[in-house]
Amino acid sequence: MSLSQMTNSRRDIFKFAGGAVAGALFTPAPWRLITDTALWSENWPGIPRPARGEIRFKFTNCALCPAGCAVRARCVGEQPVSLAGVRGGLCPFGLSAHHLPYHPARLKQGPILEATAAVFQGAGKRAPNGIAVLDLNPGRTVSWTYRRAMASLKGLYLAPESQPLAYDLSAAKTVLSIGAPLLDGWGTPANVLAARPNFRLIQAEAVESRTAMLADQWIQLAPGTESAFAQSIPSLPYAKDLSLVLGDAPEIPEINRQLGAYGKTVFARPEAPVPEAWSKNAAAVTELAGVPDHSISVLLIDESSAVSYIPWHRIQRKLVRENPLVVTFATTRGGYARYAQYALPTAVYPEVLDDIAPAVDCIHPTFRIAVPLVPPPAGVVNPADFVSALAGLPASNSLRERADAVHHTTQGTVLTYADNKETPLKDLTADAFWKSLNDGTRWDRPPGLSIPSTVSACQPAAGRPSSPEPPESPADLPLIAIREPYTPALVSPLMTKLYQESGLRLAPNRVALNPRDARAANLSNGARATLQTRIGKCSVEVTVDPAVPPGAVQVGCSPGIQDVCGPSSRAKVVSA
Amino acid sequence: VKLRGTIVFAAGVLAAMGAGWAGFPRVVYQTYTQPVDFSHQVHADKAGSKCDDCHAFRADGSFAGVPTLDKCAGCHAAAMGSTVAEKNFIERFVTPGREPQWLVYARQPENVYFSHITHVKRGNLKCQQCHGGQGTSNTLPPYQQDRISGYSRDIWGHAGRPAMTMDACVACHRQSHLEHSCLDCHK
Repeated sequence: MSLSQMTNSRRDIFKFAGGAVAGALFTPAPWRLITDTALWSENWPGIPRPARGEIRFKFTNCALCPAGCAVRARCVGEQPVSLAGVRGGLCPFGLSAHHLPYHPARLKQGPILEATAAVFQGAGKRAPNGIAVLDLNPGRTVSWTYRRAMASLKGLYLAPESQPLAYDLSAAKTVLSIGAPLLDGWGTPANVLAARPNFRLIQAEAVESRTAMLADQWIQLAPGTESAFAQSIPSLPYAKDLSLVLGDAPEIPEINRQLGAYGKTVFARPEAPVPEAWSKNAAAVTELAGVPDHSISVLLIDESSAVSYIPWHRIQRKLVRENPLVVTFATTRGGYARYAQYALPTAVYPEVLDDIAPAVDCIHPTFRIAVPLVPPPAGVVNPADFVSALAGLPASNSLRERADAVHHTTQGTVLTYADNKETPLKDLTADAFWKSLNDGTRWDRPPGLSIPSTVSACQPAAGRPSSPEPPESPADLPLIAIREPYTPALVSPLMTKLYQESGLRLAPNRVALNPRDARAANLSNGARATLQTRIGKCSVEVTVDPAVPPGAVQVGCSPGIQDVCGPSSRAKVVSA
Repeated sequence: VKLRGTIVFAAGVLAAMGAGWAGFPRVVYQTYTQPVDFSHQVHADKAGSKCDDCHAFRADGSFAGVPTLDKCAGCHAAAMGSTVAEKNFIERFVTPGREPQWLVYARQPENVYFSHITHVKRGNLKCQQCHGGQGTSNTLPPYQQDRISGYSRDIWGHAGRPAMTMDACVACHRQSHLEHSCLDCHK
């Protein structure tokens, strides 16, 4: 065959291709491509990458609740990657709080301009006392800003309690707790646990809660009989040994008075000093229940760091019937944002610069601030600036002003978290004190220098105007509600482990029923259901738990559930 | 006809092998030069520097990696020698205070945790056991970046330098009779 006869046929092309494929297998190319593609897929957009950089520690205070635990934040570069307690532990919420800025349910955008225009327009038109601020974390410096603004606008400053009390567990010998979650987020964990060996704890409640399990004695009450039990306390054989009674029952303040607890273990909750000009020009603290019905036309709600929740129907009752304007400063859409005309996003801990409200178990004034560990995103509102501008208050650094007022007292000591060192306040300049607060310290006025308010300052509130509520029918609503301890509005998604795997907490949207009641309602574990009360109804998921007594329903603390169901409310759970 | 078919097949094999061994690396790797013409040898011999003088551990035990400009400027605020490389370095980076964007040959995937201090202080490994002769080289080799994965070619072992792959780590641990598990590195 001559060369002229060697033409390339289709068969030759296939043979060459086959040879190329076979040859390629003996080169690094295909194997390299497989590995490279796998590595490339590790770096797709959206895949989280751990922070790199120098490891440093920053110190601050947890702003999730008034306990204000000291926090040591481990940071890689500027990014906090883990939080731990200083001089005591943190609760699970606090341990995972550095996840909150990235929470998928977090509110990051809102109609700020529209809300501003509406509020400024509304505040100008409405009658005096028609504007109010509802502060769900009172006792902070921003609370004083609200009070000054409302004084200027002749409005109302509303708080869940007008005369909050503080309790001294270290001075108690025997404590009777009627459903109070004393060992489960009630006070400052480190303080409560430090005082715990020195007092006898009797826990009276319907379920064997975490506090009941750790108490010296658990008295199992029938659901809904807390008030009756409280009334019977003076006749109990151990009544004379009691130092303190805790709980939500309305009879408890009077019982503590009879026990002589006021001035010994019960005090008015003390606040750190404030500039004199503030206290002269501040609106009084008013409880919502004391406000006449249908009297508020513009309501601003600060739920950005809420430590309690007031059911919406109680707020709604206070609003004017026609076109009330409600603006809420919120971190999620789950709370009052469901009802407000405008929901404005705010910074969350650990983005906020804020001081911590006095703790329920601290009888001496303290001052500590939470400093931002990460910057807040663009587009969030500072509620204090918003309300100040509305009232025309001059712009100022109110936290610094308050720190200066504290410094002016020259009393007390400053505890530095980094080295656990106490320095007398009088040894620090005002600038040094302010810097130390930002670096992680707390100011305490020692007991010898402070004079806590005594019984005269913390009389239980007199009768308050309230609208009659419709009677509850045991036939229609056969169950008595038992509520879980309060949970912050935003918790790390990792906390679902507590809810779903460990069963340590009831998830906010769940209710727990005794198997007998669940069978009667034809409900199984995990079923979707509707919780009905005389106020309304909401969707829930059911947990069947033999630890819940028959005739009771243990409810989570989501805003939806709290809107329709308070403690000891009568309720019914039906299949959805 | 049969011979002709074999020749065509063999030609295909050879063409693919040529492309795979010679052409593919040129296509898949993109070559960059380091921002500074740096000589480890000069620093080791003339200045008497040791590895951990510049590649130091922080107080918390974490590895600082490539030194920052502050460290370099501590000695090179003004020229110490007469080389062009040093003059360029001072003019381009030290004087304007601009951090050199070093390309790290040993950069590992984000899902890998590697503790230098454990290997150096506890395992008594020498730097060159993983980094080869980098510490005595007179010039920094070109940085060849895989266009697809984004990692350096040096990770796979290249030009006489040891590999820094997972297989290499596991092999070393096996050879040293050390326990190893996934979570040691993939935390």
